Amino acid sequence: MKKRIAALGLSVMMAAGTIAGCSSGAQEGSNGTTAGQEAAAGSQDGGGQEAPAAPAASEDLEGTLVFAIWDNNLMDYIDANDMVGKFQEVYPNADIEVEKIKDDSEYWNAMKMRTSANQLPDVMFNKPFTLSRFKDYLLDLSDLEAAKNNELASGYAMDGKILGIPMTAGYEYVFYWKDMFKEAGVEVPDTWEELKAAAQTLQDYYGKDNPDFMAIALGAKDEWPDYPYMEFMPALEGGNGQNWNDMAKTDAPFAEGTDIRKAYNKVNDLFTMDVFGKDPLGMGNDQVTTLFAQKQAAILALGDWGLQNIQNGTDDYSELGTFYLPVRDSESDPFRVIVQGDSFMGVTTHSENPELAKAFVEWFYSEAWYPGYINYVSSASSMSNFPKEKDPILAEADALQPDMELVMYDGGGDDFQAIQNDIAFDYKKLGSQMFTDGFDLSAELDSLNTKWAEARTKLGIQ
Amino acid sequence: MKSLEKQKRIFIFLSLVIPMALLVGFVVFPAFDLFRMSFTDWDGYSATWNFIRLDNYISMFHNENLWQSLKNNAVYFFGHLLFIPIELMFAVLLTSKLRAAKFYKTMVFMPYIINGVAISYAFSYFFSPINGAFDAILSAVHLEALIHNWLSDPKLVNFVLTAVSLWRFSGYHVILFMAALQSLPQDVQEAAQVDGADSWQLFKYIQIPSIMLMVDFVLFDNIRGALQVFDIPYVMTSGGPGYASSTFTLYTIDTAFKYSNFGLASTMAVAIMVMIVVIYVVQDKIIHGLVLRRDKE
Repeated sequence: MKKRIAALGLSVMMAAGTIAGCSSGAQEGSNGTTAGQEAAAGSQDGGGQEAPAAPAASEDLEGTLVFAIWDNNLMDYIDANDMVGKFQEVYPNADIEVEKIKDDSEYWNAMKMRTSANQLPDVMFNKPFTLSRFKDYLLDLSDLEAAKNNELASGYAMDGKILGIPMTAGYEYVFYWKDMFKEAGVEVPDTWEELKAAAQTLQDYYGKDNPDFMAIALGAKDEWPDYPYMEFMPALEGGNGQNWNDMAKTDAPFAEGTDIRKAYNKVNDLFTMDVFGKDPLGMGNDQVTTLFAQKQAAILALGDWGLQNIQNGTDDYSELGTFYLPVRDSESDPFRVIVQGDSFMGVTTHSENPELAKAFVEWFYSEAWYPGYINYVSSASSMSNFPKEKDPILAEADALQPDMELVMYDGGGDDFQAIQNDIAFDYKKLGSQMFTDGFDLSAELDSLNTKWAEARTKLGIQ
Repeated sequence: MKSLEKQKRIFIFLSLVIPMALLVGFVVFPAFDLFRMSFTDWDGYSATWNFIRLDNYISMFHNENLWQSLKNNAVYFFGHLLFIPIELMFAVLLTSKLRAAKFYKTMVFMPYIINGVAISYAFSYFFSPINGAFDAILSAVHLEALIHNWLSDPKLVNFVLTAVSLWRFSGYHVILFMAALQSLPQDVQEAAQVDGADSWQLFKYIQIPSIMLMVDFVLFDNIRGALQVFDIPYVMTSGGPGYASSTFTLYTIDTAFKYSNFGLASTMAVAIMVMIVVIYVVQDKIIHGLVLRRDKE
């Protein structure tokens, strides 16, 4: 029996070893430093003490760069337009390996594992909420012309360093079918209450003949598609793009009267109105986007990137329109719209050819590449030297709100993320929970307050 | 002759040392490292970490969502456990002289060799509330009253996911049982038949005791599989709604990657190891110590 237990233990260890193998071996104890960090320190110190080196001639720069991406549209454009070949016309001794990772969730998992193994790609992308996580592994790009010409990069600088250059300016839209609104006698909503009323009217009008109809499409099964509501509405409520960071400074950020509580109460009201179809938790984003494209839904809130997905699902989008999510309570309140830098291209400290990597970033945002790419995607340009006219469908939202107030969104810094990780605060999951029977938002927010305060004490955050 | 002896010794030495080195390097060392990490607050990417004694273990025991996830694992465990006799029956049936047995064997084993993520995606659409095939089938046979929110009702979702898991893995167990049954010596069975044993007696007194090693393995595989189930809930429901269909492994992976808490995730991995061993030993005691002893008596 003992032998059997020992054999059993060994079998189990084999299974567990797979998990451990992914993460072990990088750290060297609490006082240790990795080669990557030393490189980062060296690079950063060097940047501060030495005069900027003269730009190297393109023939002098040689080596292979690993460029890791997750964006399908970017991958398609890179393939169709021979990015590597074009770069090699300028840098003949350089090569680029483009590494496509399935989606951004997988991307962050892969990047975390590579960080611990000192094997980050030479050039990587970040989102506003991951910049803080990887900041120790990104080089300062402040000296690049690309950074200087970028409208948003300096707004996301950390300790005065630009660690990533946003490839696009991301706006959030509410897509809708104009003909469906017209037939149901619904106007484009201007306030939150009007949005609720419009959704109810649409559901009543189309839902009576079609039990599958959704006034608002939301693939809540995937959880992340509720981000226009759960992630951005707290910032829109008070016009504070630093909302997450400010929450980290207080013990009870979910208390009555706070922006996040007001915003989540509004979301909860909407999510419990039965205007999301018969089973919003039963479908993912792909499914509802397809159904929206087929006019089985009237409203869909997504980023500008969603336009291409909707257009791929239908031949006739002549009646497709957009408006911005009306979070305000009354027309006398300012109409706020989220804007954020998206896809921050950065050079990692693990790069063996950092100068070449910087040259690639510079080239990527130059006339040779960026204008073609930014016109290929539906997202807005983040470069002041390459402005882009918005797609007419997206421009409709601007025309409807000429006096809108832009809120520059920050995904949350170190303190916020430390607390978020400690208490496993997942606002997207919270949004999907609002669709479940018996969910008590008030109790949940009170519980979060308690956990938040405990986490701040435990982590020593002031 | 001396050279041959030397070569033999070298061969034996290498045959032992290489697998042992691989085992130590890729299994034993990572397992010990996992255990060490379970006492730290490592975030998965930083160069530094702190020893936090038993904090992770205490935190794990106080985590309600983790307990909820573990309860969900139990649905998979008991679902598969109850299905083992049916799998055994299928194996006996397919081992006997059955017309088109090869076709049935292929059909039974097919789900196991299809990619798990692809299966999960396919079943997501199968159970979709709009244009879903399952609801369409129920409607076609006038059973609309049975239509439910298959993937979003917290009371139902784990049973639906377990059904998908059964569809995928049962064939594997059937094939294992068949392999064991086919290795039984025919003469013993024929002798029993000559002595007047019927099919049930043959199954109960000859076949089952003879394949107990395989039954043991399938039972162990059931515990391991039920506690480590990941791809089906991850793809089909993301563990939702809320944590209603989360599993221990899903929660562990979220803890490591979504919440950057590798220390706590390591603690959970250690807990899985311990649970697999404990549940197996208890199960083994019950089956061998009570059930089979009673049969012998």
